[in-house]
Amino acid sequence: MAYVNVSRDPERNWKNGYLATSMLGLGTTLVTFTKQVFGLEESNTVQWPEVEYQYSDRFKGAHFLTKRPDGRVRCTACFLCATNCPAQCITIVAGESPDKGVEKYPVRFEIDILRCVFCGYCEEACPVDAIRLGPEYSMAGLAERKWVYTKDYLLERDAVKRKVGEKQVSKKDENVKHDSVDSALPNIHLTHTGGGH
Amino acid sequence: MSNQVTLSINNQPVTVPAGSTIIEAAQKAGVSVPHFCWHPGLSIAGVCRFCMVKVEGMPKLQIACNTPATEGMKVDTLSDEVKETHKWALEFHLINHPLDCPICDQAGECELQNYYMKVGKYQAQMEDQKVLKPKALDVGDTLVLDTERCILCSRCVRFEDEVTKTSTLGIFNRGDQATIGTYPERKIKHNYSYNLADICPVGAFTAKDFRFKCRVWFLKETKTVCPGCSTGCSVNLFQNSSQREYYRLKPRHNAEVNGHWMCDTGRTMYEHLNASSRLASPQLEGQSISSAAAMQAVTDAAKGLAADKVALVLTAQFTNEEYVASLSALKSVLKSAPKVFIWRDESEKSDDFDGILFRGDRNPNTRGMMDVLKEHGITATVLKGDYAPLAAAAPELTLILAPEVESAYPNLAKAVGRFSELKKTVYFGNALTDSAKKLWLRIPVKTFAEKSGTFVNFNGVAQKLKANPAVFANVKGVDEYFGDLSRLAQSAV
Amino acid sequence: MPVMNSAYNGRQPNDFKILTELEGVPNSRSLEVYKKHGGYSALEKILKGKMSQEEVINIVKASGLRGRGGAGFPTGMKWGFVPKGEGEKYLITNFDEGEPGTYKDRYIAELNAHMLIEGKLIAAYAIGASKSYIYLRGEFYDEIAWCEQAVKEAYAAGYLGDNVMGSGFKHHMDLYLGAGAYICGEETGLISSLEGKKGQPKLKPPFPAVKGYLGKPTIVNNVETLAVVPWIIRNGADAYKKFGTEKSAGTKLFNISGPVVRPGCYELPLGYPLKRFIYEDCGGLIGGKKLKAVIPGGASAPVLTAAEVENMTMDYEAFAAAGSMLGSGAVIVIPEDVSMVEVLENLMHFFKDESCGQCTPCREGTGWLLKMSRGILNGEGQLGDEQKIAEVAGKMMGRTICTFSDAAAGPARSIPQKFAHEFLEYYKKKSSAHGQG
Repeated sequence: MAYVNVSRDPERNWKNGYLATSMLGLGTTLVTFTKQVFGLEESNTVQWPEVEYQYSDRFKGAHFLTKRPDGRVRCTACFLCATNCPAQCITIVAGESPDKGVEKYPVRFEIDILRCVFCGYCEEACPVDAIRLGPEYSMAGLAERKWVYTKDYLLERDAVKRKVGEKQVSKKDENVKHDSVDSALPNIHLTHTGGGH
Repeated sequence: MSNQVTLSINNQPVTVPAGSTIIEAAQKAGVSVPHFCWHPGLSIAGVCRFCMVKVEGMPKLQIACNTPATEGMKVDTLSDEVKETHKWALEFHLINHPLDCPICDQAGECELQNYYMKVGKYQAQMEDQKVLKPKALDVGDTLVLDTERCILCSRCVRFEDEVTKTSTLGIFNRGDQATIGTYPERKIKHNYSYNLADICPVGAFTAKDFRFKCRVWFLKETKTVCPGCSTGCSVNLFQNSSQREYYRLKPRHNAEVNGHWMCDTGRTMYEHLNASSRLASPQLEGQSISSAAAMQAVTDAAKGLAADKVALVLTAQFTNEEYVASLSALKSVLKSAPKVFIWRDESEKSDDFDGILFRGDRNPNTRGMMDVLKEHGITATVLKGDYAPLAAAAPELTLILAPEVESAYPNLAKAVGRFSELKKTVYFGNALTDSAKKLWLRIPVKTFAEKSGTFVNFNGVAQKLKANPAVFANVKGVDEYFGDLSRLAQSAV
Repeated sequence: MPVMNSAYNGRQPNDFKILTELEGVPNSRSLEVYKKHGGYSALEKILKGKMSQEEVINIVKASGLRGRGGAGFPTGMKWGFVPKGEGEKYLITNFDEGEPGTYKDRYIAELNAHMLIEGKLIAAYAIGASKSYIYLRGEFYDEIAWCEQAVKEAYAAGYLGDNVMGSGFKHHMDLYLGAGAYICGEETGLISSLEGKKGQPKLKPPFPAVKGYLGKPTIVNNVETLAVVPWIIRNGADAYKKFGTEKSAGTKLFNISGPVVRPGCYELPLGYPLKRFIYEDCGGLIGGKKLKAVIPGGASAPVLTAAEVENMTMDYEAFAAAGSMLGSGAVIVIPEDVSMVEVLENLMHFFKDESCGQCTPCREGTGWLLKMSRGILNGEGQLGDEQKIAEVAGKMMGRTICTFSDAAAGPARSIPQKFAHEFLEYYKKKSSAHGQG
């Protein structure tokens, strides 16, 4: 059996005692407080929510879904984020996209933000750069608030995206398929070099 | 023996019947040879060129699927030369493959993916534009065809030519423009179409029924028996266990029963298993009650009744164990066997057979039920369109083991209407059927997916069902309910 | 080492006339002219002399005749593979002459199609076939007419029918027109096409000699192979063996294309020096251009450099020793001012178009090879691409049902290996273009 030996301080001295060390600590507090009251030292405390703390651009807070240039959801409902999610907080219902070039899209895309552990695995798993963790960190709220983020909510938070900068939202090539492949069988004559953009 | 040959595969001796191919011998020896176009249920095409093995004494590598095994042959599947060939075969298969795995339903059970992880794992060398072909084509009521994903193994073409003999599919154009498709003005229209999605090694054929519904890696399979007809195909039933939702059935190879295939009718046998289409709790004259209360009501109703005032109406959709349990329980409670009737749908043509698998007797356990009745020395009256014998018996209490698969009983509403004219009817059925609301007591039962038991098919082959966790925790099987009945009757005494 | 064969010094091409005997004879296509030159006497010799099937096969075996379609398989041996005894058997003539640069079979039909019909009758007698087909390429309009005319004449003269020349031997012949697919020149591809299916080669085993057309034993022979059989029967195996080398007996029709002074179809004994053929018989290159390379046996034969041509003789063994092949005998001459990268792209385009698409390495590989070679030609290549072409081609070889992918791999491996420096110039073009941009 393992045990921890919590022995007394070998140098039993009044300087190491409870009262003395407490007073010393309070002294430090008093000095700093006085300095900051008289403006001799700058405070590290931010007056939130009046003042917003500036996290790094890379901060990974609440999720958002990115869009294609035409405004539709980029997500193809591949379920890789949901599969990868250790908290199992992502729910997707896939459906047939009206756009034949895309085929599959999420009819429902929901994140149970109370379960989320903000690990960022969903972002890593995504093959089409559709889900991202943004800089939004103030997610506190009351019980009646919706804690399940819906697809619309995840898509329509332009302010959050603007913070990240549009250029960062997606640099990847569009994962749209070519229009010329709609022709019917059997007389397809696509050239081997075809499909230039 | 002259009709057996012994060869060695990776220095491991294996004996196979003469005329077997190397790939069959390898399977027997437990050596996996990668392959796409070869399928044990179809003829040999030899076009994927993936199953190449080294045969000692032959200058070139040979395809294992078409090279006959001969006495003393030495086959090697592990040499660097063979591995290199497999790697390149995979590279050739993948250079024009769209790699749209994220939206492909096959992902997770795709042979191309599996082999890539097993024998591929190379850096792709192809840098040019891939060949583009038509995607998401509607080729029939059940299937979607993506010709870009297709690797032209021709399994589907051979299936249509050899199994269903419908020959709807062909390969059009040549070279890297070669494309699978249906002949002009034709669609895939037969009762075995979902097999095409099964045998397709990639996601070229996907089932409309399953399309985009669930990723396969969320599904768990259970080995069970199809309740769709008296053939009783061996199947795997797929359930998303976290959602408790059933998604599909797939055939499981059984040389004695169904070979490699199953019919489309059988594929729908998951639909009635999910919570949305099921009765959740017993209904006594339209009011929900607990299972215990329901069985108490049945016990009370049976108390003091003579055996000939109790009728038991059976359908052949329950397991042998359930028939035995219900008959034994009633015998012990009533001191003698009740009157037994067999309910068959009036449209049924039990001798029909489509020549492949599907039979006109849409009950999975007719043979088993008859055997049990015979063992108990009971002569049952068949109700088929004519319910007069039942009415003539004027039972005080009628216990009905209703069909689990209601689609097999198109005239069910009419029959239930006749039953409702009787005094106290107890309807053991799991569906939400409107017509059954008129009955005195409805008790939901476990479906074939949730119970263990035995089905005996038309040919006398007995197969076991394997239980999944129940969708509704309070719902019991027929055998359990009748166990409760005899216990309750005894304690009352 | 191939050496100059001194036996041919001083002899003119006219001295080797077997198939081209009727060259220059007026009205050569008629039955009368053919009969005047000994036509149908070989058939008569067999039928009237009541020669056995084995005797005929043995004469052909002894003559050392090898298949003239490209593979060079001994003809007599091939006939011997057909199971003896009753049952339907088929003989098919491969007149689907599709190898680029080849026009020897058409030349035979142009001279006299009766040579082919008599040869077919002899072959049919040897294997015991009562039905034969001539599988013709659909766009050979004139040849179709000539063959049709000859078959009609043969029926009228009693050489074809239920009772050939009153001997009791029954034989019927039909023409079948293909749709111009290169792969239908492959024997099992041809059989598939003849059966009314998509023209794609069949899996072997079973071999056609055992299970071919409609599942019956079938022999597929080239036009030239069959057309020479009557001469062999008439003059004996030894007379035929006098021509050519020990292992490559007899004469062969060679077609030469490219910028030579006198292009055309030449009948030459096997073992004839290639250099002499190009420079003396064909008069050398137009305008005295320098020779860069020669494709010796149709598009599928690996290319030979000018240095390799020096001492090359035209027979199966010498070409094989140099890593190429005699093939169909279509000699394609490439002069100094033609880029080998263009040659490669041209050939790859052909093979990409003609792959049947059945086996994966060939279907995907031919397309890939074209994309890579076209990329280099368009200045998009980079160092090492030519090696990649050779590597991919190497991985296609020997891994498919038929030898089409080997054929495509022939030039795709040999050109980058032998002319790598020409590829470098294209890569340089790219880097200089980038420098300017």
